[in-house]
Amino acid sequence: MLGALLYLRLTSLKNLLLSRLRRLRQPKYLLGAAVGVAYFYFIFSRPFGVTGRPSTSSGSAAAASFTLSSFELVPLLSVFGAFALVLIALFTWLVPSEKPGLTFSEAEVAFLFPAPISRRRLIHFRLLGAQLPILLSAIFFTLLSRGWSFLGGHVLTHIVGWWLVLTVVNLHFTGAALTLNRIFDAGISVWRRRLVILGGLAVLVVAAAIPIWQNAPAFPTGDFGPGAFFSAIARTIDTGLLSWLLSPGKLLLAPFLAADIRTFFFALGPATLLLAVHYFWVSRLEVSFEEASVAHAEKRAAQVERFQAGDYRLGSAPVKARREPFPLRVPGRPELAFLWKNLLGTRALFHWRVWAGCAVAITIGVPWVIRAGGNTPFAAIIATVAAVFAIYTLLLGPQLARQDLRSDLPNSDILKIYPLTGWQILLGQLLTPIAILTGLLWLSLLAVMLALAPRAETVSWLTPGFRLTAGLCAAAVIPALCTLQLLIPNAAALLFPAWFQSTRTRGGGIELMGQRLIFVIGQLFVILISLLPVVLSCALVIFASQWLIGPTAAVVLATLLALAILAAEIAGGLWWLGERFEKLDLATELRP
Amino acid sequence: MIEVSALSKRYGGFTAVRDLSFTVQPGEVLGLVGPNGAGKTSTLRSLAGIIPPSGGTVRIGGIDLAAEPVAAKRLLAFFPDEPRLFDYLTVRQHLNFVARIYGVADYAALAQPLLEELEIAEKADQLPGELSRGMKQKLAIACGLLHSPRVMFFDEPLTGLDPLGIRRMKDSILRRARDGAAIVLSSHLLHLLEEVCSHVLILKKGEKIAHGSLAEISAQFAHGETGVSLEEIFIRATRGSEN
Repeated sequence: MLGALLYLRLTSLKNLLLSRLRRLRQPKYLLGAAVGVAYFYFIFSRPFGVTGRPSTSSGSAAAASFTLSSFELVPLLSVFGAFALVLIALFTWLVPSEKPGLTFSEAEVAFLFPAPISRRRLIHFRLLGAQLPILLSAIFFTLLSRGWSFLGGHVLTHIVGWWLVLTVVNLHFTGAALTLNRIFDAGISVWRRRLVILGGLAVLVVAAAIPIWQNAPAFPTGDFGPGAFFSAIARTIDTGLLSWLLSPGKLLLAPFLAADIRTFFFALGPATLLLAVHYFWVSRLEVSFEEASVAHAEKRAAQVERFQAGDYRLGSAPVKARREPFPLRVPGRPELAFLWKNLLGTRALFHWRVWAGCAVAITIGVPWVIRAGGNTPFAAIIATVAAVFAIYTLLLGPQLARQDLRSDLPNSDILKIYPLTGWQILLGQLLTPIAILTGLLWLSLLAVMLALAPRAETVSWLTPGFRLTAGLCAAAVIPALCTLQLLIPNAAALLFPAWFQSTRTRGGGIELMGQRLIFVIGQLFVILISLLPVVLSCALVIFASQWLIGPTAAVVLATLLALAILAAEIAGGLWWLGERFEKLDLATELRP
Repeated sequence: MIEVSALSKRYGGFTAVRDLSFTVQPGEVLGLVGPNGAGKTSTLRSLAGIIPPSGGTVRIGGIDLAAEPVAAKRLLAFFPDEPRLFDYLTVRQHLNFVARIYGVADYAALAQPLLEELEIAEKADQLPGELSRGMKQKLAIACGLLHSPRVMFFDEPLTGLDPLGIRRMKDSILRRARDGAAIVLSSHLLHLLEEVCSHVLILKKGEKIAHGSLAEISAQFAHGETGVSLEEIFIRATRGSEN
């Protein structure tokens, strides 16, 4: 029987690989694969901050240096890694995944559940099925952690080490989910179960904290580096009861951290024993997993069906109706109806009242923090953090705020029936992410402007008047910049719908990752080209006019020019893409 | 009301619709039938302005759909086979949204009777995810009817409905036609089309092979026999082939 199940798994895998290879005949996948491979080559081959496996020819000094760093780092990694594993385990029990312990596809449910196969064999089938992804992940992590070669060991010992860690973690997830199912089946509610686990956790924390409090080594004083700091934390964690709790994790990590083959084989025994204990636990659990597996398979199938129908939004539909962001009066501009509609589809957090609350908090909070912190250091930190947040929001925001045509493209048939021109639909669809990104950027700008106040004492031209004018000018330009940034991914969705839709499917391998990279690079390239005339013109205007009319007026003049250029670019883009939308036939574009 | 002249639709080298011409007058219900791949959906989508035709003209209420799409679309409604709804708008919010798009000023007065007629008034504050398929279809119909269209296109309107739903849908289509709407619908359920349609257009491989009133079509393919069903006519007209 296991042979048949193995045949199913291997044949499915072979067919999956063949279909992936076959689709490389399409240029979009071939190019994506090339970019994906290049990306991984860059990631895996780039020099890391710490490099250098000790070579026999490198001399005793290098070897001594290696021995010293390895000697310091291995215990640290062992303690912190084991601590992370303990936290993962606790989290698994406290906040279990929605997935059942054992997940099956709808086809597997239909074929295997009614078949004369014992439940234990089904469990084995599922556990074996998880092995390939785990092995691939182990290889991937080994490649990623290539730079840790200074720890010693061999590439194969690292792969086996990662495999052991991932397999045991996977078995623990499965065992915990099945055990929790069993507890739930016994009539114990989620909250009672959580209460019991939290109570146990509280006892453990107290029991662990007492010896730490009594015996923990003192932190180094004076001027000490990060190494000494982390060593002190590790010594603190690795005390008393907590040290016992960390032991299984340390044993599990030992093969990966082994510096040589001999240590590796010594470490392999206890780690394998841990794996065997977990396997025995999972395989012997007498618990009903079928119902939860069927429900999960149906949910997954519904999601796949949704994807195939062109609805690429992740997550499920909202479960309850939201309050309207503003009353939608009739008649009125139809574009605002799209803003209203798409705001209803966002989180309740994106509301003007929340934004106003944040603005008030920043206006009061930033000056207070700066005053309380003795001015300069905090002001610089706040200004830097807010500026970095603003840059990230402007650059990455359009990829995250997708409440526009990209989300509604599957509904294009319905949108095109509306008595509206293409540009009206596109503009209407863009309004929601523009509002969201603009709101976030304005808040960042407010924080920067307030945090710059102390600098006025040292920078003569940074007067309150100039700061206010520059802030207002930047605020005026922000919506236009957001619109331009959002036009580009929407243009990609309209101009290359087949490419765009394929990048929105989940997973999909290296070729889809490459396609996504192409879109991101394309977005950066286009925005740079679009902003070039704006930046050059504004720089020229400020340079030429500030001598005559002063810096404040020069900034205002440059802003007006920037707005004019951006408005022209946006209008042109909207008109062109609107025409394209009117002619778009998604069904034809997605035809293989 | 609907004037189609030399309509064609090509997808690359494949011609889905070829040189199609017909008219539908107010009060008429035209049934678009044909084997799978005959070009029914492409025709309906071209007529509704969803996809641009490759050739020919479509006039809705005398307005050229290609030249004045916005004005033409104000007159029509399209009902796809699968109701396409926005997951996060309730029934009432759907109607509010559509009213703003079409500029239906007195929509509140129109919406309530419409919801009651379609028996979804009590679901007004529910999301599509909470509705059955039949209810979703009713909501899609309510959205389409809100602006009182004079031209309606239905793509497989009876799919997924229970017997009572089918009866109500047929009654609703006939009532709109009696009120002066020009209606085109496609379906594979020929015996049901027979009860609703005044005219039939049979397509095969994108070409019109028969068009006329039910009586005319029957006379063309019955060869003197009486009581020949639309199903039998369809089989004779398409020679039983599936392309």
